[in-house]
Amino acid sequence: MIEALRKKAEELLRSKTVDVIYGYGEGSTPERTRPVFITKPEDVNKLTWNKYCVYNLTTYLKRQEARKLGKPAIVVKGCDAKTIIVLIKESQIKREDVYILGVTCNGVGEPQATKCKACDIHTPRIYDELIGEKIENKEISFEERYAEIEEYEKLSEKDKWEFWQKQFAKCIKCYACSSICPLCFCDRCIVDKNQPQWIDPSAHPRGNLSWNVTRAYHLAGRCINCEECQRVCPADIPLNLLNKKLAKETEKNFKYRAGYNIDDELAMATYKEDDNQDFIK
Amino acid sequence: MEKTLKKEKFNSLITGLKDQGYKTIAPKKDSNLVMLDEVQSADEIHLDHVQTNNSIKEFFLPKTEKILSYRIEKNKVSMEEPEGFAVKTVVFGSRPCDAASLPIMDKVFNWDCTDKFWVQRREATTIVTIACDKCDNYCFCTSVGLAPDSKEGSDVLLTKVSDDEYLVETVTEKGEKLVESLGTVFTPADNPGTETLNRQVATVENKFEIEKVKPWLDENFVHKVWAEFSTKCIGCGACTFVCPTCHCFDIVDECTMSKGDRVKNWDGCQFKMFTLHTSGHNPRSTQDQRWRQRIMHKFKYYVEKFDSILCVGCGRCSRVCPADMNISEMLEIIATEESQPVNKE
Repeated sequence: MIEALRKKAEELLRSKTVDVIYGYGEGSTPERTRPVFITKPEDVNKLTWNKYCVYNLTTYLKRQEARKLGKPAIVVKGCDAKTIIVLIKESQIKREDVYILGVTCNGVGEPQATKCKACDIHTPRIYDELIGEKIENKEISFEERYAEIEEYEKLSEKDKWEFWQKQFAKCIKCYACSSICPLCFCDRCIVDKNQPQWIDPSAHPRGNLSWNVTRAYHLAGRCINCEECQRVCPADIPLNLLNKKLAKETEKNFKYRAGYNIDDELAMATYKEDDNQDFIK
Repeated sequence: MEKTLKKEKFNSLITGLKDQGYKTIAPKKDSNLVMLDEVQSADEIHLDHVQTNNSIKEFFLPKTEKILSYRIEKNKVSMEEPEGFAVKTVVFGSRPCDAASLPIMDKVFNWDCTDKFWVQRREATTIVTIACDKCDNYCFCTSVGLAPDSKEGSDVLLTKVSDDEYLVETVTEKGEKLVESLGTVFTPADNPGTETLNRQVATVENKFEIEKVKPWLDENFVHKVWAEFSTKCIGCGACTFVCPTCHCFDIVDECTMSKGDRVKNWDGCQFKMFTLHTSGHNPRSTQDQRWRQRIMHKFKYYVEKFDSILCVGCGRCSRVCPADMNISEMLEIIATEESQPVNKE
């Protein structure tokens, strides 16, 4: 699979179909990979693929430093590919702006990432070239896909409040969660706006609550569950619990899964004249 | 006389400290992390780790703290300064790299103005370090002039000599007083002399020649390696916040029309907002410039100003980096470049 990936990458660079490949390379330790940006065909051997390829590389579409390198081909897993669909639907990129090098995936991380446990997109649902044997995307029930939040949902309101107070107390306001998020693409985040100061920048209980809740709300109906926010949090806050809960509510109420079908209308940004709820007219 | 501290005495140590009115900070397990945090009993202390996830700095420079409160009345402004922020504290079981960060930071906090919050907390705190008996790939203390059993910044250094015993070395007068005050918690070594020989200290690989770093930085403010290395950087502040020597902060007023708190918060040079001017101009407009700043500040500017490297080789920044930016790898590249200069672009 690595060979096929390198071969395709080389071909794309040689034919000038793309200027750069966003892919995975070897990391600091054997248990880690890192994002690499390959611009020369002779460097494609730096690309790798293994179970440690946890990153969602589509986040570099929002980084000017990566965009500067030209049109990219991005190595994406099934989950990551959903981001590209959301970015297209939200008019951040055009389909032709990216070449999607889809990889089939049986799960990443050691121990395996939570997001992989009820995965029904082993083969990306959108790609230009597929690397690896196609894996059938078996349907997984709604209940099973949201099983990881069951325990949390059982908590009383009071216990939930206590749980989050304890979790958010650990926040150091490094903003790794929003910096890594491919869908947190605002050029200037609300936390950086101080006239008025919507969110206290201080890492105290009020500032931490308003930051973490606002971050999650801005991803309601948009988060594709790549879990990157949770992976990178140096304070080990289970941020994806919030994302997942909001995704569940969105799916339950709007029959919508972010990034699943390119033809679906966005849950939070679609206006309809014949909406059956009066308040929106 | 050589003294040792037996693990079975940890309980009397913590109780003894409590009796003397000390607050005790020690490594503590918190689900997937090991954090330096306040402990009430010896059972909470966790010692089977390479490095705590948080650094020692937050006990001197907290992530957020109120530096004054004010009230605006008709014709006057009244101000109130916080009191009681410097609590008598013992930090027990932090690593030698963390301890070494303190005298380095003392220089900047005692520079043109004395930062009373830092200075008073430093005076009120005694550092009892435990030398590292293990390390990982990210550790590089030996490359920045330190060692897994360095005494810099510690008041007392403990070194493992067996599974349940530590050799006690007092480094400062403050440390000596603490050890004396705890009396029988520390015991004379059973076989004086041998403990010194059985010190269990990790071997930390020397990754680069530090003498090569500054000369290269002096010449290469503009170099392609800055951008090449940092394209993957996502511009968050994780590296600077877990760093024991990064000390930048921002001051904000949390206020209404009539009253407010002036608050000091950690800030970091990797954020694009850090250097954004009100005019809209940003002198560090791209991430490679911000990454360069981090390296330059630690290995050139601070050295020129304070004659110290602003890095203790703890490796935390590289461990937490969401994109696997590895600082010692950058320094290896720099040291190699300095040894065999290649054509610059």
